[in-house]
Amino acid sequence: MFSLQLFPANPKPTFLNTSFKPLLNPQALKCPKPYPKSKHTLISSVLQWNRKPELAGETPRVVVITSGKGGVGKTTTTANVGLSLARLGFSVVAIDADVGLRNLDLLLGLENRVNYTVVEVLNGDCRLDQALVRDKRWSNFQLLCISKPRSKLPIGFGGKALVWLVDALKAREEGSPDFILIDCPAGIDAGFITAITPANEAVLVTTPDITSLRDADRVTGLLECDGIRDIKMIVNRVRTDMIKGEDMMSVLDVQEMLGLALLGVIPEDSEVIRSTNRGYPLVLNKPPTLAGLAFEQAAWRLVEQDSMKAVMVEEPKKGGFFSFFGG
Amino acid sequence: MASIWSLQFHSLHFRHRVSSNAKELLLHHSLSQRLNWIPLTPNRRFLLRAINDSVSPDKDQRPQNDVVDSAKHTLVLDSKHPLATFQESITSFPPVVFLMTRCSRNNFTMGLCIAIAIMVVAVRAYVARKSRQSRPGSVADLVRRGQLRSDRRGISRPLKYEDPFNNPLVKVGKSNSTVEMCGKLYRLAPVTLTEEQQAIHQKRRSRAYQWKRPTIFLKEGDSIPPDVDPDTIRWIPANHPFATTASDIDEDLAQNNVYQKHGVPFRIQAEHEALQRKLEALQNEEKLNNLFIDSRNAKDFQRPFKLNARSDELDEEGPINNPTIDNKPPKPERASSSIESNLSSEEMQKP
Repeated sequence: MFSLQLFPANPKPTFLNTSFKPLLNPQALKCPKPYPKSKHTLISSVLQWNRKPELAGETPRVVVITSGKGGVGKTTTTANVGLSLARLGFSVVAIDADVGLRNLDLLLGLENRVNYTVVEVLNGDCRLDQALVRDKRWSNFQLLCISKPRSKLPIGFGGKALVWLVDALKAREEGSPDFILIDCPAGIDAGFITAITPANEAVLVTTPDITSLRDADRVTGLLECDGIRDIKMIVNRVRTDMIKGEDMMSVLDVQEMLGLALLGVIPEDSEVIRSTNRGYPLVLNKPPTLAGLAFEQAAWRLVEQDSMKAVMVEEPKKGGFFSFFGG
Repeated sequence: MASIWSLQFHSLHFRHRVSSNAKELLLHHSLSQRLNWIPLTPNRRFLLRAINDSVSPDKDQRPQNDVVDSAKHTLVLDSKHPLATFQESITSFPPVVFLMTRCSRNNFTMGLCIAIAIMVVAVRAYVARKSRQSRPGSVADLVRRGQLRSDRRGISRPLKYEDPFNNPLVKVGKSNSTVEMCGKLYRLAPVTLTEEQQAIHQKRRSRAYQWKRPTIFLKEGDSIPPDVDPDTIRWIPANHPFATTASDIDEDLAQNNVYQKHGVPFRIQAEHEALQRKLEALQNEEKLNNLFIDSRNAKDFQRPFKLNARSDELDEEGPINNPTIDNKPPKPERASSSIESNLSSEEMQKP
């Protein structure tokens, strides 16, 4: 299995071990042998060369992104992972399942293009394809909003509606999408129940603080009760400096508390706010930021149904002569 | 008689031995010059003069000199500015004086370096200000997107990132256990969660959280249906913002709407048809009205026969002008007869 997936600076870097060969067989990638393993570590990392990840599981893969606690980064994760998947060549439909408060369109910069929502589709005011908003940056990414802020959906009806939606998307003329990402609202009430209804797998977004972890544990229990077993975790807003100073729980501590496989670890990044202002998800930044790279890697693992086998712990950088001067 | 001056300063070099009056005067003059240069108060000058006057050549020199020295030392140290002391020490030092007069080019070089440094600092500040103004992700983008109404800020260009595999910022260490990303160094730490631990957590959660998906939503006053698991029932409070009746939306219709791929959506079609029907109804009414008007107009075209008709009209208008009821029925009878004839003709025309 992969431990860490990193991207090389160029397709044929010279500083790598020459015994490494480009691997085309996905099974061979699970047994990497490129580098001489050091005696002190059992980790092996693999560099991916210009390879599209192999899609695992049945399409469409319906993934609900939830957390329980609000403000931990569900919508940010949905937007960035969704666009990463689209950039990797997969067709993605992102559904904002928050009936009352809609935010995913703002993060994607598509708020002026949302004319119809699922409520209009149900009422017969438009067709489903008319309610889908195609992103002009990546044409294989589409957004679907459940409702506008002032409209409402009957309780108990939303879950059925989402199931119909997923079926209709499967049967559409341009083909079934590869991924359907559902951005779940906060809490565990009707909105949450609606959002998890059609899902086959879940991505739980949490932060390394005790309040978020408690809610995440509760949500995980509810997901398992509802029959969703494939649950992976993304730990968001990680401050490696605070972890080093023992002021914040480490990612391994979080995993020990929740007992879930790790899909990604996203460091705290101020670029998230700037990307929200721009309506341009930060995975599209050039050069990429740390958080953007982490989202890309999380998307990669989501495609291959893989999980992290190692986490990165910040080390003090060994400076040279000029480190005294702050270099 | 010679008055002996003994001035001992750590930074000054004086000839302290004088034997002649000329030398004494010279020393006094040089000292007064220095004193003039130093911003002394008049009291201190008087004190210094008093000290000078108090020295008598007849007495023993050493103790007096010591007294004078200590007094003057404290006086001068108290009165002199530290900068002045420093400058004095430099200027009085013969080699320094010699060097300064000789190496004026060094001054020029030093000045040039200082000027270049100031220029570099200014340029850097300017560049930093520029980059701050053009940095993407600022509030200017909110203005551009129409979220904020303010035209004080500029518009930034969005960045593009196309190749997800080209990350020159990711560098792997030689031992393959360290990674350098975006200027920070990280060590890889293995994940310690095993499958057994995962299973233990799942069992814990299944015991802690018992939940069933709600399938029945009841309002206040509704009776609980029989043979229904009570865990699947949810009660909706009357003041719930999303509490609408299920009968508002026909589920079958909604499902058909979702699955529709082509054609006009159902409600639009229904509204369009309703509008069409209404228009047709309006058109029919207009036609009727037009027919009614045409029958009147038809009389105008009957002018060649108006000689007879005019007499009829005059007869009709006469009784019409006189408000009597008896003459009114003939008109509607004519109108109704004309309408009937028209209707019959239209019916004949319709296929």
